[in-house]
Amino acid sequence: MVIRHLLGAVSAAAVLSCALTGAGFAQGYPERQITMVVPFAAGGPTDTVARLVAEKMSGDLGQQIIVENVGGAGGTLGAGRVAEADADGYTILLHHIGMATAATLYRSLPYDTTNAFEYVGLVTEVPMVMVARKDFEPVDFPGFIAYVKENADTVTMANAGIGAASHLCGMLFQSAIETQFVTVPYKGTGPAMTDLLGGQVDFMCDQTTNTSQQIAGGTVKAYAATSPERLAIFPDLPTVAEAGVPQMEVGIWHGIYAPKGTSEEVTTRLSASLQKALADEGVVKAMADLGTAPSPAADATPAALKAKLESEIARWKTVIEAAGVYAD
Amino acid sequence: MTSPTTDRSEAIAGALLMLAAGFFAWQTMDLRIGTALRMGPGYFPAILSGILFLLGLLVFLKAFRSTATSEAMGAIAWRGLLFILPAPVFFGLTVRGLGFVPALFLTALIAAMASMRMKLHWALLLAFLVTLFSTLVFSYALGLPFRRFGPWLPF
Amino acid sequence: MEFLSNLALGFSVASSLENLTFCLIGVLLGTLIGVLPGIGATATIAMLLPITFQLEPVSSLIMLAGIYYGAQYGGSTTAILINMPGESSSAVTAIDGYQMARKGRAGIALAVAAIGSFFAGTVSTFLVALFAPLLTTVALKFGSAEYFSLMVLGLIMSVALAHGSVLKALAMVVLGLLLGMVGSDIYDGTPRFTMGITAYADGLNFVAVAVGVFGIAEILRNLEDEHDRQVLTSHVGRLWPTREDFRAIVGPVLRGTGLGSVLGILPGGGAILASFASYTVEKKLSKNPGEFGHGAIAGVAGPESANNAGAQTSFIPLLTLGIPANPVMALMIGAMIIQGIVPGPNVASEQPGLFWGIIASMWIGNLMLVVLNLPLIGLWVKLLKVPYFILFPIIMAMCSIGVYSVASNTWDLYAVAFFGLLGYVMGKLRFEPAPLLLGFVLGPLLEEHLRRALILSRGDAATFINRPISLTLLLLAVGVLVLVFLPAIRKSRDEVFTESEG
Repeated sequence: MVIRHLLGAVSAAAVLSCALTGAGFAQGYPERQITMVVPFAAGGPTDTVARLVAEKMSGDLGQQIIVENVGGAGGTLGAGRVAEADADGYTILLHHIGMATAATLYRSLPYDTTNAFEYVGLVTEVPMVMVARKDFEPVDFPGFIAYVKENADTVTMANAGIGAASHLCGMLFQSAIETQFVTVPYKGTGPAMTDLLGGQVDFMCDQTTNTSQQIAGGTVKAYAATSPERLAIFPDLPTVAEAGVPQMEVGIWHGIYAPKGTSEEVTTRLSASLQKALADEGVVKAMADLGTAPSPAADATPAALKAKLESEIARWKTVIEAAGVYAD
Repeated sequence: MTSPTTDRSEAIAGALLMLAAGFFAWQTMDLRIGTALRMGPGYFPAILSGILFLLGLLVFLKAFRSTATSEAMGAIAWRGLLFILPAPVFFGLTVRGLGFVPALFLTALIAAMASMRMKLHWALLLAFLVTLFSTLVFSYALGLPFRRFGPWLPF
Repeated sequence: MEFLSNLALGFSVASSLENLTFCLIGVLLGTLIGVLPGIGATATIAMLLPITFQLEPVSSLIMLAGIYYGAQYGGSTTAILINMPGESSSAVTAIDGYQMARKGRAGIALAVAAIGSFFAGTVSTFLVALFAPLLTTVALKFGSAEYFSLMVLGLIMSVALAHGSVLKALAMVVLGLLLGMVGSDIYDGTPRFTMGITAYADGLNFVAVAVGVFGIAEILRNLEDEHDRQVLTSHVGRLWPTREDFRAIVGPVLRGTGLGSVLGILPGGGAILASFASYTVEKKLSKNPGEFGHGAIAGVAGPESANNAGAQTSFIPLLTLGIPANPVMALMIGAMIIQGIVPGPNVASEQPGLFWGIIASMWIGNLMLVVLNLPLIGLWVKLLKVPYFILFPIIMAMCSIGVYSVASNTWDLYAVAFFGLLGYVMGKLRFEPAPLLLGFVLGPLLEEHLRRALILSRGDAATFINRPISLTLLLLAVGVLVLVFLPAIRKSRDEVFTESEG
């Protein structure tokens, strides 16, 4: 047992390179290792999703998928890197909703979002929850909205920086309830959550990845989930639609892309492999722990991702332009 | 040496500080300043550039009434500057195109040429060993996502 | 006696043969990679993180924590031997540690760093175990107003980092603050001083700046007149501190441990201040402050203890709240999530084995490090005997890999060259790099907290004096300021100044 783990640790990387040399049984693509670019730092929620599916897809493809973190500038550096890469199927990108919002948030992108990529499929859509410091007065979501409208001069809403999930949800909330209040940006979710726990700010809307444990621990108060259905982990938490604000429905969807010009044969192969990975029990369980679920097989397709990206670009263009916030 | 003298290096130091302050101030011009209580992105940099300029001016002025004996600036490592500084730049320019192995080999070789004690054949051997070690450790053992040989190469 | 039973549970988990092995592997790997010049703790962890993914959760985290301490040790080693700090904390160690090495006291500097760190690690591990929940409530009282006042205090204390002209040290702090502003403004996304280069949108890479102004500048200085000078390395001296050395470090180690433990708890940037603060305190308390910057043993012992204590207690917010205090902690959270443990306030009660196991392994890891590193000192010091013209090409190659591996950003490598040149010019003009680096790390925090505090108070500047903790910190800052400009002290500083000039 010990020896097995020990070997596992020390030879973990050696296994990667063995997979390289031991290739040859697969006909045609893929013939060597594939690099999956994640445009965010290692260890973040997007990186976690990428590593989960990359590992399972590697098994199916018979070639290792290596995750490379190319963080910076709200994910646009990594996306730009892939847009310029060879369209041979050996460089792919896993990006989230930021792919769609960056098209408007950044006025000078180095790539044309709708024309620089081929599509593989949707991976997962992480829901968000509106949470507040635990001694915040309102008891339910309608009460919360009324309170925010009434005290628009004094309430404060935290977000993790421009373009972050919590920022997008915040913009959506402001436009949904047609009220302007003070938003407080932080450098990342961690510091924002710390100030929420310390009662320095009033509320925040963030992914279940970041909020579910705090809600379960009773350190923050949860008002509503932004998903179309109630969350499996919090069946008592109403959805925003139930509370009468369906415009606030939003999820942090993740998709896999390839550079423009990648052959259909390759994207279909990757898509099939993605669907298999998403059906894997381990992946389903790991995602459930994060308060999310894999996208259904019908969505893990090139067509579904393309449609999603295009509709989301249009949706966020209105929201972002109304808010008048840009990242460059 | 009791009468005040001019300390040339101090004067240059002060002038460079003012130059740097000027650069930052110029770059701040496009930024929204805001007010003390509602600061824009330019507020803090504007104040800091101002302070830096003042400090530079003080250093500059003090240079002309220096009581300390002026310290010689010493030799300048021209050969070092010529080979050491381009080494990381070269690595950055080629690591994606040539790939990790050749880029690192050439980087180590360039850096090695900075010393006049280094003979070419020793430099080649050193660069080879460094590359071998790094490729084994970083690429094979740790599995870092570097391409060993890049698309610029024919194979 | 809940504490004892918890700790017993922790040790029973951490001392299983399997976990001990992973702790050892982590510590070893961390030290070995971290000791490569230009590769600091963040780069080391980013490189080694994937290796831990397929282990059991407890083992994986224990190994990761081991890597973290190991990398920090490794970073201090390169700071002392070749003036190449890989982290903000070891930048302080480099000031006097490298000078000690130049005087043939490298072995002693390394031993003092190891012993100080071990002591600090032991004390702060028990602090974590005893007071974690209590300390967390204190940390949460710190809002942006408090952090701003803390940073002000830190900046004022920073003047003591310089051993030359105070005026030029201040200029370096301000220049550092400005360099820290490079990147997108977090409040409205406006790019500042990026020269239109998107790769700098998230700011300049710390490792690139530190390696440039310290390490590369030092290489260039050593290459200046190689024909008439055998560079520094010829004599190695004794390896083990003398009785007097031990006596000299008791105070600094104790104070450093205290300072580091307290500052490490604050997730908004407290740990960054730990080693800087300790250096300042030691210099102020020292009978001969003129020694500082020229190889003062207290200037190594204090900051190293503070740094390690801070590293331990910065686990507190992670363990009790599930919130990362620094990029390394963020990586650990990612590792936990991949392991299926979503960190949060309930980890201690739901997974007591994991929680207390990690705490116990902190101490075990520190013990392993000291046992491992003391014998290695002889080996490290021998490295100094390698001719310099062989050493520096290796350093340049490792730097390039280390800087590039952090974010695969080639612009970071160009920054290394730029800051190398800047550091060299600064050295020629007798500017010191440490205050610049302090300004660089504090700049963004200072501005961020100031602006956020004002947003939260709706533009009411009185928030800084209405909040008691903030007021206390500001009063302390004023106190330090008065102390600095007190005539008597100023006189002694002038003596130091002329001394170093002559």
